[in-house]
Amino acid sequence: MKNPLKHLSIAFALLIAAVSAAAQERATVLTGTELTRVVPPGFYFQGLSAPTQMRNSAAARFGTSRFVIAGLVDTSGYSADVREKYVGFFITDSEITLNGETLAAGAYGFGFANEGKITILDLAGKDLMSVAIENDKSLRRPRPLMMTADAGGGVRLYHGRNYVVIAAK
Amino acid sequence: MRCHHKLGFVLCCLFLVAPILAQAQQPPRGGVSTGTPATYTSRRTTGITDPHAPVIFEDVTDKTALANFRHRSGEAAKDYIFDTPSGGVAIFDYDSDGKPDIYLLSGSTAAAMRGKEKAPRAALYRNLGNWKFEDVTDKAGVANERWGFGVAVGDYNNDGRPDMFIGNFGVSRLYRNNGDGTFTDVAEKVGVARRGWSTGASWGDYDHDGLLDLFVPGYVQIDLGSLPPAPSEAGKPGGVAQNFCQFRGVPVMCGPRGLPGEGDTLYRQKPDGTFEDVSVKTGVHDPEKYYGFSSAFVHVNDDKLLDLIVVNDSTPNQLYVNKGNGTFEEMGYPSGLALNENGREQAGMGLAVGDYDNDGRVDFHITNFSDDSNTLYHNDGDNNFTDVTFQAGLGEVSIPFLGWGTSFLDFDNDGWQDLFVVNGHVYPTVDQHQWGTSYAQQALLFRNIKGKFERVGAPPGNALANAWPGRGLAVGDLDADGRLDLIINNLDSKPALLRNVAAATGHWLALRLIGDPAKKSPRDAIGTVVYLTTGNQRQRREVFSGAIYCSQNDLTLHFGLGGAMKVDKLEIKWPDGSIETFNVPVVDKLVTITQGKGTS
Repeated sequence: MKNPLKHLSIAFALLIAAVSAAAQERATVLTGTELTRVVPPGFYFQGLSAPTQMRNSAAARFGTSRFVIAGLVDTSGYSADVREKYVGFFITDSEITLNGETLAAGAYGFGFANEGKITILDLAGKDLMSVAIENDKSLRRPRPLMMTADAGGGVRLYHGRNYVVIAAK
Repeated sequence: MRCHHKLGFVLCCLFLVAPILAQAQQPPRGGVSTGTPATYTSRRTTGITDPHAPVIFEDVTDKTALANFRHRSGEAAKDYIFDTPSGGVAIFDYDSDGKPDIYLLSGSTAAAMRGKEKAPRAALYRNLGNWKFEDVTDKAGVANERWGFGVAVGDYNNDGRPDMFIGNFGVSRLYRNNGDGTFTDVAEKVGVARRGWSTGASWGDYDHDGLLDLFVPGYVQIDLGSLPPAPSEAGKPGGVAQNFCQFRGVPVMCGPRGLPGEGDTLYRQKPDGTFEDVSVKTGVHDPEKYYGFSSAFVHVNDDKLLDLIVVNDSTPNQLYVNKGNGTFEEMGYPSGLALNENGREQAGMGLAVGDYDNDGRVDFHITNFSDDSNTLYHNDGDNNFTDVTFQAGLGEVSIPFLGWGTSFLDFDNDGWQDLFVVNGHVYPTVDQHQWGTSYAQQALLFRNIKGKFERVGAPPGNALANAWPGRGLAVGDLDADGRLDLIINNLDSKPALLRNVAAATGHWLALRLIGDPAKKSPRDAIGTVVYLTTGNQRQRREVFSGAIYCSQNDLTLHFGLGGAMKVDKLEIKWPDGSIETFNVPVVDKLVTITQGKGTS
């Protein structure tokens, strides 16, 4: 115990830094003009560009400047097999986790073709990852797609009553 | 900033690539959401019969002049979206002789719209009694000869004679009833000659001035000079990709998704009998331009103000709650009416309005596309609704059907409102595939057993066993026997006139209400709520215009009383908010009640 005060100070500084960083990475669900500013009006996927259903779009900001954006698109122009697995886009400009599984920055398609899972697809329609989804039976007013704050500091991306938790890395 | 650059890069890539691809392929414009492809060994929407089922309705069309009516809408191939959703039908007593009459709308053709062939005609059939009808269309001057979709009845000028608003693809009409068996189209003169694609309108006095106002939903913006591709154009070199507008991988007509929607219009009636467009001012103009099909002014909550529900195809439904200051608040999402219980948008078509569980609040039943269930919304009070479709027994059975007209009606007079649903697909090609559905479909009748519904079987050869490409539906007691009858308007076909011949029915009471315009209640009593008590049961009915699917029920209110031989209490809440209570000593009859003057 040469200088316990110094050690305490360092620990306290580290704690403050960690809390500060965590606070910076806390998610904020975007609404209004903040939301419309970041949601693209259309999305390219597997040979077609389809318009975004703006009413069924959501976005969150982690900290001050990291964004995650998701939206359903009008898949009418796609063949039935594409429509089965692709419902919308998922864009993240930084590495995140979906229910704990890491996803790199990028623009993806997503869908729910696998029972009980959300599947992230690359723009050519190739499956990149599948993550188990949770079902929120207590959700009073489900929407086709929405985000809400999660108690753990991330956001929940809902598709009806099903959801995954998105967290910053 | 670093992160913004990343996001910007991703978006830039997307929108640099997209135009290049768009040159190679047409941008997606149409199609509908479809279910998972599945193969069935039989069709589940036709030929389903039960030899032990009771006979409820008899198809008497061919015994009447209505057999001569042929609805027509576009060509048989149904290449374009306007070919498929027409049209409505109304039951109303246009000549005030006490016998409800029938008005059937027709669609039209692109050639007729361009003046290159004779336009199909709507028809008015005067009820002569004893199931005899006379075609009085020419005399009445109501042939329309435009692409008809919706009909809403209301006595807009409070002269005691019901008028008709016709929602057309093109220019809509307002047929003013002249009281001598003729009508005059005054739409241009009074300011309701709506352009575009007007569908299922509704009359209602939203601002409590005693004058009916008019809400008209808009569907899709279509330019006949620049039509979306027909199915036959799919896959042609240089044409449209085969997957452009398809159902289960098969090319079909495009839309509504991918096509531009149309806003809605609310016309406020001014004291001089003309109308002003107050859509934006009141907040019901539908800036999202959802695909509107059905609407109704109705008392959703327990205040004195008429609210408004709009059923939209492939987009969320809207509930406009009347704030009492000349504006509405759109509460579709928070009320639970916008979506089904799983948060899904559905392809809303028709709308049934009624208190099915006798709890004193109005509930809604909405018909949807095939591979999806129709939806029953229970009114929990305070502008909250719960989707109770499957609990109520209306879910699984409706999935293969594509529903249109829907109405609550107590066909057996047991005091519980049953449900009738008209069905028919929009794609003729469904008959070429084993998809478990069909183009012509049976109608569905559900018996209400204390708030739970049970499908009534179809005896072989009976009306319920018939399959029709049904659209509009209207309910009324056409022969004054105390049993509610039906008329169905069938696409490109003759109508189906169904006489209620149910053997075991209870007692009944019918009410014809007359409001007092001097007290700021519309004369036809639209917006009046009636509570009828027999024993422990209290039923609610409301006089409303429109809904069903582009159609109009008889404005006479019908109550089944079961075994009750008397009415314990009859409360009438008039549109001006005043409440009157009446003694009704005799049942099994039609009673006329005039506001402030009692029964006659």
